[in-house]
Amino acid sequence: MQDLLYFIQQLINGLTIGSTYALIAIGYTMVYGIIGMINFAHGEIYMIGAYTSLIAITGLAALGIAWLPLVLIVALICAMIVSSSMGWAVERVAYRPVRGKHRLIPLISAIGMSIFLQNYVHLAQGSRNIGFPALIEGGFQFGAEDSFQTSVSYIQIMIFATTLVCMTVLSLFISRSRIGRACRAVSQDLGMANLLGIDTNRIISATFVIGAALAAVAGLLLGMYYGSIDPLFGFIAGLKAFTAAVLGGIGSIPGAMLGGLILGVAESMTSGYLSGEYKDVVSFALLILILLFKPTGLLGKPEVEKI
Amino acid sequence: MSTSVKKLVTAIGASIAVMGAGHAAAEIKIGIAGPMTGPVAQYGDMQFSGARMAIEQINADGGVMGEELVGVEYDDVCDPKQAVTVANNMVNDGVRFVVGHLCSSSTQPASDIYEDEGILMITPASTSPEITQRGYEMVFRTIGLDSMQGPVAANYLISQEPERVAVIHDKQQYGEGIATAVRDTLEEGGVEVAMFEGITAGDKDFSSLVTKLRQADVDYVYYGGYHPELGLILRQARQADLDTTFMGPEGVGNKDINTIAGEAAEGLLVTLPPSFDEKEENQELVEAFEEKGEDPSGPFVLTSYTAVQLIAEGIEAAGSKDPFEVAEALREGTFETPIGTVEYDSKGDMESFEFVVYEWHSDGSKTPVN
Repeated sequence: MQDLLYFIQQLINGLTIGSTYALIAIGYTMVYGIIGMINFAHGEIYMIGAYTSLIAITGLAALGIAWLPLVLIVALICAMIVSSSMGWAVERVAYRPVRGKHRLIPLISAIGMSIFLQNYVHLAQGSRNIGFPALIEGGFQFGAEDSFQTSVSYIQIMIFATTLVCMTVLSLFISRSRIGRACRAVSQDLGMANLLGIDTNRIISATFVIGAALAAVAGLLLGMYYGSIDPLFGFIAGLKAFTAAVLGGIGSIPGAMLGGLILGVAESMTSGYLSGEYKDVVSFALLILILLFKPTGLLGKPEVEKI
Repeated sequence: MSTSVKKLVTAIGASIAVMGAGHAAAEIKIGIAGPMTGPVAQYGDMQFSGARMAIEQINADGGVMGEELVGVEYDDVCDPKQAVTVANNMVNDGVRFVVGHLCSSSTQPASDIYEDEGILMITPASTSPEITQRGYEMVFRTIGLDSMQGPVAANYLISQEPERVAVIHDKQQYGEGIATAVRDTLEEGGVEVAMFEGITAGDKDFSSLVTKLRQADVDYVYYGGYHPELGLILRQARQADLDTTFMGPEGVGNKDINTIAGEAAEGLLVTLPPSFDEKEENQELVEAFEEKGEDPSGPFVLTSYTAVQLIAEGIEAAGSKDPFEVAEALREGTFETPIGTVEYDSKGDMESFEFVVYEWHSDGSKTPVN
């Protein structure tokens, strides 16, 4: 019983962290699906989302507004607006001018953008860890009083639920809406979509905006969950989310969800049963294995040679 | 990361007076290297403020052998690569005396360069024993060693008669070194070390570790490392209802841990150098800091002050600005400083340095534990 509760606890830990990887991974996977480039600055967009929501929360607290749902919604909206405009601006400034050039050029431009944003926040907000108010505290406990108890905090439930809702809405949006249809068309054949009268520039901008908005959601949730943010934390999270996207099959939205969850659970199981030191070793070994046997990732479609 | 080498030219009333009198006074450059940016910049602030104060006061007293001290500040971000760049810049800038670096992992690679180039280095903060174990002549410190701090922490834990203790570290030179010393002392003292495990510095999610600690059912958790990670571990532990007492080295003992951990920081045990700012003979100096609006209570403020003072007194004692002769004078002499009487052994370590166990509070204050 004890062991089972322990296992469930580690599973919950893994699913929580995995869902946020998934939220960030969407940004990588959508951009890759549409223009075939890796947006390395995406982790920084997520970090900026976290900073913006913290600023909003602090601002509201200064105004004396403490009603939790209002605080959360205002923080979320502020973060989404700032991150989305940042995502849009990054695409406009750093990627559109070099689109269609050699593959390496947008990649280098992306890395440059990532370094720029990191250092910008360094200068603007200082380099120290800043505490993030917990806002949502408490949770449920399972198991006997005197032995190991499995606990699920409200914030963990909220992270998992928010991710599920975002993913469902996004999938519906992509499969049902006009812009979603245009997105799919652009990802199949950019040139052809252009000829058929789709404003591809607008669609590509929309992709960046959607990815950035979801990253902002992750920024707020993770800020509250972990309790501190710093200008460098987007980089590590971005790297993990990128791994999740590749693991699930880059370009595939359900793949990003699956990849994120697998990565999160693998990490927490490794630290739970082996040692925290081997966490990254195991998750990246997993990535290499999957890429060896299924180079397109778990749910990725094999690339069809276009004639 | 920031490659900027920030320089500060200390303009001081006394020096202006000297210049004004028409003396083309020579100057002695003191390089001060530590993190101005990055996750542990908090400690860098302590270091810079202590060293600046010492330079200011020594100049106000007429300088060293009639020459004025000039502080040149460098940012190493506590990054070993950056520390090497900083060390090379010092060589190019003609600096012969260095106060720094802060993190052991920066001090070690930088000291290779100082030793080769004949630059005298006094670190006010690096506690890794390895730094002085390589037979270097130009390396000194004004702080104790992990091998002293670890046993103090472990002996305190043993005195509380725990059954099981978990020891966690951040896999870095400082954290792992100190955690190893704690583990070894605990085991010698007959306490079971239920867990000895590393985490990754910079990580944010410690839920798995916290779950594991709850499962391990330990009486104490010792963490070797710095405050950003321990702050998060404490906070996430309290959220998961783990109320074990945590203990850490001086790397976790600063007010930034309160902004991260909040209430969860209450009751944390920390080994720190004794509060030099509370000593009676230092009150005049403490007032000088407070007049400038600076806080002299950080663990590295007065050690940095002392490092500058030792360089100045070493130069006076040697009667020469040659770093080799100054190093010789430091090894031979006995110096009265704000951190007590300093005498060096042949390795450049202080003959004695004391660590005290403190209990940390959620408002950032601390009280000694007996």
